[in-house]
Amino acid sequence: MNALGIINFEDNTVEIDGLGEYRPVPAMVFMGRYRIIDIMLSNMTNSGINSVQVYCKEKPRNLIEHLGSGQRYNINSKRGKLRVLYGEKMFSSLVYNTDIENFRLNMQYIERDPNPYVVIAPSYFVYPIDFTTVLKQHLDTNADVTVLYTSTNEAKTSFLNCDVVTVDKEKKITAFGKNRGNTKNRLISLEAYVMRKSLFIDLVEKAANTSSLYWFKDILADSVETLNIRGYQVRGYVACLNTLAEYYRNCMELKHPGISAQLFKADWPIYTQTSDTCPTHFSREGTAKDSVIANGCMIEGEVSGSILGRNVKIERGAIVHNCIIIGENVIGKNVHLENVVVDKYAEVKNIDKLVGTYSEPVYVKRRDRI
Amino acid sequence: MRSNNMVAMILAGGRGTRLFELTSKVAKPAVNFGGKYRIIDFPLSNCANSDISTVGVLTQYESILLNSYVARDHYWGLDTNDGGVYVLTPREKAQADFEVYQGTADAITQNIDFLDSIDPEYVLILSGDHIYKMNYAKMLGYHKVKGADATIAVLEVPMKEASRFGIMNTDKDNRIVEFEEKPANPKSNLASMGIYIFTYKTLRKYLIEDAKNKESKHDFGHDIIPQYIESGKNLFAYQFKGYWKDVGTIDSLWEANMDLLNTNNELDLADNTWKIYTEDVNALPQYIGPDAEVENSYITEGCVIEGCVKNSVLGTNVKVAKGARVIDSVIMPGTVIGENANVTRCIVAENMKIKDGAKYGHKKSEHIELVAKSGK
Repeated sequence: MNALGIINFEDNTVEIDGLGEYRPVPAMVFMGRYRIIDIMLSNMTNSGINSVQVYCKEKPRNLIEHLGSGQRYNINSKRGKLRVLYGEKMFSSLVYNTDIENFRLNMQYIERDPNPYVVIAPSYFVYPIDFTTVLKQHLDTNADVTVLYTSTNEAKTSFLNCDVVTVDKEKKITAFGKNRGNTKNRLISLEAYVMRKSLFIDLVEKAANTSSLYWFKDILADSVETLNIRGYQVRGYVACLNTLAEYYRNCMELKHPGISAQLFKADWPIYTQTSDTCPTHFSREGTAKDSVIANGCMIEGEVSGSILGRNVKIERGAIVHNCIIIGENVIGKNVHLENVVVDKYAEVKNIDKLVGTYSEPVYVKRRDRI
Repeated sequence: MRSNNMVAMILAGGRGTRLFELTSKVAKPAVNFGGKYRIIDFPLSNCANSDISTVGVLTQYESILLNSYVARDHYWGLDTNDGGVYVLTPREKAQADFEVYQGTADAITQNIDFLDSIDPEYVLILSGDHIYKMNYAKMLGYHKVKGADATIAVLEVPMKEASRFGIMNTDKDNRIVEFEEKPANPKSNLASMGIYIFTYKTLRKYLIEDAKNKESKHDFGHDIIPQYIESGKNLFAYQFKGYWKDVGTIDSLWEANMDLLNTNNELDLADNTWKIYTEDVNALPQYIGPDAEVENSYITEGCVIEGCVKNSVLGTNVKVAKGARVIDSVIMPGTVIGENANVTRCIVAENMKIKDGAKYGHKKSEHIELVAKSGK
């Protein structure tokens, strides 16, 4: 596919409490062994995109370590390229740290790429997508920009603060707006765009000249009158991980193989880095039900309705119900956890009970000792 | 090759006939173990962890899978600039007839040109079909301190079993004075593990001599080591302590898998300082269903458990359907256990389809049943 892939970072409408304090959204652990970015990056490489730039808003350490050279994602180590890019001087400024500013600071890498098209998408929307079919529609419709969107009837509770689009009969986008949660049925923009690289560069410059607080989505919204912006509807599984509650709810739903098979498809593999952990060990006392469990765990207690990341130890008598345990954790003897998200390396040992609710799970900090 | 100046040569040509259908299409070193591993992952990971960067793997029997598997040296982090895994199969040569490897020593002799091109000071000879963790760097240190020409790793075995092994008789300095292959009346219980470190220059000389000897079986234990002893070379025994298992039979392969269920097992695959590396598969973490019963088991990625699993080891992507019971068994990767099927004291080979309601094995059977055909 003759396109440069750009994995954009999310704007300030996305805020995953707790987890988000320690790593950018793309680097968050997802379904026990993945990171959120694995989905979009695999989408791009499965579509035959061999050159990908990952833009990072802040805290790049985690992300750089996870992505490596890209070989794991089937990027050819000679011909292809996976770059993690960030706007160094912008790290300290929350307001000025826009995607536009980051693109401009790294413009030489965008310009130098020989591909005539760009595919831009953030990682916090997770769904399987073959970009070759998007590019084909883009060319067939003679569009200037093609915008991916999904149709939902749960806009009152999900996709809050996401962009919405209005499309006419020809799938031409006539307006962008915001989902404030007051209407059930909405068309949600997935903030994923396909266009000519030259147009992309022009729009970046135009945005910068308009306002230094502009994001790419802002200049696109300004251009609905002047450009031929078309919609491409993504059918099938789409989830938006923009708050802790939504992250929790979507992960809980994805536990079931019937649901996860819609995102992790047999013919559309999702790649990640291996950490060479041994299989999970259930002791004589350990039990699990309705749970997703990564490798390296030691289960001596009772686990139900939960997602366990790598190397989690559930000690005897512990009860872990409807929880997400991120990885490298110890849940001590007789501890009872319900609707809790336990961040990496945290150990919960000296407490009898910690209970949240499904819509408001309790968050236990990274490296915390409770 | 890094500063230790040692190349490892893994003998992986063995068929493993006592594993029956498990080795009908793959060599024994490629047989699955512990849910996600293949047996050869152990010596390869030990090499990586012992800072050995160049490894030759000598393959012969049914080697297609094994050759392509070990050639992916990045699985074990061996894809460095100065090292790598080299697949060494028998080949046609300009100056000699095409010959398969006649014995363990002949396999090395036929690759003297490879070793010369790397020019190592030491050669480590390993077997591709044992389960153990060992730091070869420490053994090399011992080899150097002793000023040895050859060092042989030995393991203490129960005296009553010693007649099943190649036994090293040593003096008080651990110098090997006699080697006896499967002695009827063993004088010691130090069994050879088939792990040797040779100083290459000397070994090269002995191999070339041995190749000329028409009486020789061209085998390290049978020919080379006795030659070393006879001519008064410095041979030392290096005593290994820890878990070591030759998984040559269905029963012993099953036992070694079952050892993983013991929380205090010496092999300790969860030890992060000495990981065993293997192929990474694109599989979701395991899913344990709402009606599943799992107890005392070792389960890996990609498994979906809806039935009952007890005292068992399950490989990657194994599915256990509703009402199925898997007891005291080893299920190899990709196998599906149908609804209400019952598998007890079995090893089920890779990618089998066990039909709904089928029954295999018995809880009081003397031997472990091998299930290597789909159906029933």
